[in-house]
Amino acid sequence: MFAVFPTFAGAPLAAGAIPPVLVLAMCVVAGVGTVLVLPGSHERSVRTIGGGALLCVFLIFAALLIRQGAMKGAGQVYFWLFAAIAILSAVRVISHDKPVYSALYFLLTVVATAGLFVLLWAEFMAAALVLIYAGAIVATYVFVIMLAQQTGSVGRATEGGDYDRISREPIAACAVGFTLMGLILFVIFDMVSFVGPTKLPKGGEAQGTAQRLGEHLFTSQVVSLEMAAVILAMAVVGAVVIAGRKVAEPAPAREPTGDVHDVDPKQVPVYGTDERRTKVYPEK
Amino acid sequence: MAMSEPVLRQYLAVGAILFAIGLIGFMTRRNLIVLFLSTEVMFQGVAVNFIAFGRYHGSLEGQAFVIFLLAIAAAEAALALGLIVQLFRRRHTLDAESWRELKG
Repeated sequence: MFAVFPTFAGAPLAAGAIPPVLVLAMCVVAGVGTVLVLPGSHERSVRTIGGGALLCVFLIFAALLIRQGAMKGAGQVYFWLFAAIAILSAVRVISHDKPVYSALYFLLTVVATAGLFVLLWAEFMAAALVLIYAGAIVATYVFVIMLAQQTGSVGRATEGGDYDRISREPIAACAVGFTLMGLILFVIFDMVSFVGPTKLPKGGEAQGTAQRLGEHLFTSQVVSLEMAAVILAMAVVGAVVIAGRKVAEPAPAREPTGDVHDVDPKQVPVYGTDERRTKVYPEK
Repeated sequence: MAMSEPVLRQYLAVGAILFAIGLIGFMTRRNLIVLFLSTEVMFQGVAVNFIAFGRYHGSLEGQAFVIFLLAIAAAEAALALGLIVQLFRRRHTLDAESWRELKG
């Protein structure tokens, strides 16, 4: 558990630099903060306090990692910047009342994640992430949000429905989510002594370029690539079929007034023939 | 130059936190669209993990996997939004609770 890794920067580093009790405590506090920050029947100030608790837990976690000595070099500043933006905007995605703002905060998460990808020498993936998510997926989400909120009055479109302001089982969900998060963090920081890198990247640092990634995709991942193409085509067809289908609106029930105009001609029994279209009304 | 283990741990921690946040959002929110935004947040966490592990091992497998993940996410978004439009036409609300009888 406390294996020493002499590989890091020449200095031995205890693997369990963050004690599990601390991880547990931080997860509990962050869980309470998340319960408070989720939309519910809380006051706005209570939600602000919850957000402050979350922010404090994040800062403490960052400080622990910094004290651990894991961050050296100028790139770490960018790591913390992007990580903070990604995580805090992700919290806002799930805690904002209005779905449009949720979508825009998700855009912020995507851009920060793209920054993390750049730090990991995956430039092409960063570009693809911004193009696909920001350019296509978030735009589609915003379109659907606007379509779906159009029906009400203007006030309702800006207010959002009740279902946006009241969470469903926030305490149980936060317990489950933060149990999962705590377990994963415990495993990451305490349990596993990682296997070393199996091989060094060929070609130095330029491993994330489109050329190298394309070569890799089209040499060793050809079948998967074709399957992805088929899945995308099927999804497009399926989306058109699903969304284009007309919904059979339940006809508004009309009160029969007994007036002759209320009588549907197709409902009048036809005598003398089986063909209803040629003889609508019975002959005398 | 492969990155060292503490650096890998930071990225894995970010991925885990993003995934958990998305999970909580998926369980608590009631707006159908926000539900699927939460799944996209979970996708982001998984993608960070993949890229970090690929960088750690100095291979391109992680990035190739994220490309397929993006394809699946795009397909999922298209289908989910089509379904949401269809569901909205039927009930004129985005509340997931209005489809409670689908629980069975």
